[in-house]
Amino acid sequence: MKITTVHPSQESNVCQESVYNGIFKDTSKTIFNYIYYKFGNEEKAHDAVQEAFIKLWENCAKVPPKKAKSFLYTVANNLYLNVLKAEKIRLKYADKSLKNTNENPEFIMEEKQFQEKLDAALESLPENQRVTFLMNRIDGLKYTEIAELEGVSIKAIEKRMHLALKSLRKKIDGI
Amino acid sequence: MQEDYLAKWLNNELTEAELSEFKKSDAYATYQKIRATTATMQAPDFDTNQAWEELKVQRMQAESKILTLSPFKSFLKVAAVVAVVLGGAYFYLNSLNEAVATQYAETKEIILPDTSEILLNAESQVSYDEKDWNNKRNISLQGEAFFNVAKGNSFTVTTDQGTVTVLGTQFNVENRDGFFEVTCFEGLVSVLYDGKENKLTAGNAIIVVNGKLSKASAVKNGQPSWMQNESSFKSIPLNYVLAEFQRQHNITVDSKGVDTNVLFTGSFSNTDTDLALKSISVPLQIKFTLEGNNVLFYEKNAP
Repeated sequence: MKITTVHPSQESNVCQESVYNGIFKDTSKTIFNYIYYKFGNEEKAHDAVQEAFIKLWENCAKVPPKKAKSFLYTVANNLYLNVLKAEKIRLKYADKSLKNTNENPEFIMEEKQFQEKLDAALESLPENQRVTFLMNRIDGLKYTEIAELEGVSIKAIEKRMHLALKSLRKKIDGI
Repeated sequence: MQEDYLAKWLNNELTEAELSEFKKSDAYATYQKIRATTATMQAPDFDTNQAWEELKVQRMQAESKILTLSPFKSFLKVAAVVAVVLGGAYFYLNSLNEAVATQYAETKEIILPDTSEILLNAESQVSYDEKDWNNKRNISLQGEAFFNVAKGNSFTVTTDQGTVTVLGTQFNVENRDGFFEVTCFEGLVSVLYDGKENKLTAGNAIIVVNGKLSKASAVKNGQPSWMQNESSFKSIPLNYVLAEFQRQHNITVDSKGVDTNVLFTGSFSNTDTDLALKSISVPLQIKFTLEGNNVLFYEKNAP
């Protein structure tokens, strides 16, 4: 019989530079995007990342590595709570026209129009639907992951996704 | 179609049947387009490395704040509080008069700046302004004290019952709860009591017991008896006698068993407790039991 002992990583501590740096590499971009989807302000999203990680460093002894992620989201989220008004969100689209120059101008035109409609539709979404939808669509976060970050059930995230898609389609189709 | 089917569709969780049904709907084309377009979308650029470098700088600032600035800040806070307290205490103590007090079974001798003497009996307190003494010879007294006053300006003893003013003399003032006695041994003393002035020549005393003023005599050029470690009384209610006994011997007196209004004439030793108890009990024909620091007086014929 083979016995394997599992050592819980109790030694890993956020105060260790390597652990702290690892968390930064894993989460900083997502936090940046999260705040950006919320308020559409790049500068504020940058500041939020810095602020959240400073707070994490100050509390590194108290926050276990597993809780670090949700700690960061909470700090970043609370930073602009009720303070910042949502601005225009500008997202980038992979430019298909460059890859395929043979595309006829009419198609390119249609693409552009669709993107504009989509942008407007995204902006008109309620904040929580937009953040959830973009976290899933752009950052590829699973429903469970978003549910954990937002502190709600997976069911609630599915509802948001469904409603977001539905209203995006209605806006785009002009219904 | 199940609930939130659009979310399920994005996650590829729809069944074959559901999917083909959904594909037939008018809206499907747009949904498909949204799905395809959003898959190619990107958030604004975020340079993780650059952000990390910025964070390093910020952290260093935050740390230096924690390590050097804040201990200094809290030190300043403490220093400010200490300065305020010390400054306040200095001014307060400076404005206070000099005070001397005695406990039970204790006497003290005080020499004033003008060589006047005060002998303070047990459980008494005097206070005076040491700095301005030569201009203002004013003593406030609680308890009992003997004064030998050097010649000079008027010398005033203020008590809550009456004020004693002299020029240069020897006198004793006793200011106890409900009891006020001034005895003049030398010279002339003026006692202001209840708005009336009473002049005492050497060998005279006034006693006020419960607001009743009476005159008594004392030995000329003598000293109060307590200065010879004796307490003397002439027709004084027993409760004052026992109160004095309690002060001199630091023994708690229980006198519930006897009539404390009875008048006592005599004296007791301030050093020998047993003798003092006998000096009080024998003439009054009462009994006592002494247990540690408590003494109980009771009538002879009590059970």
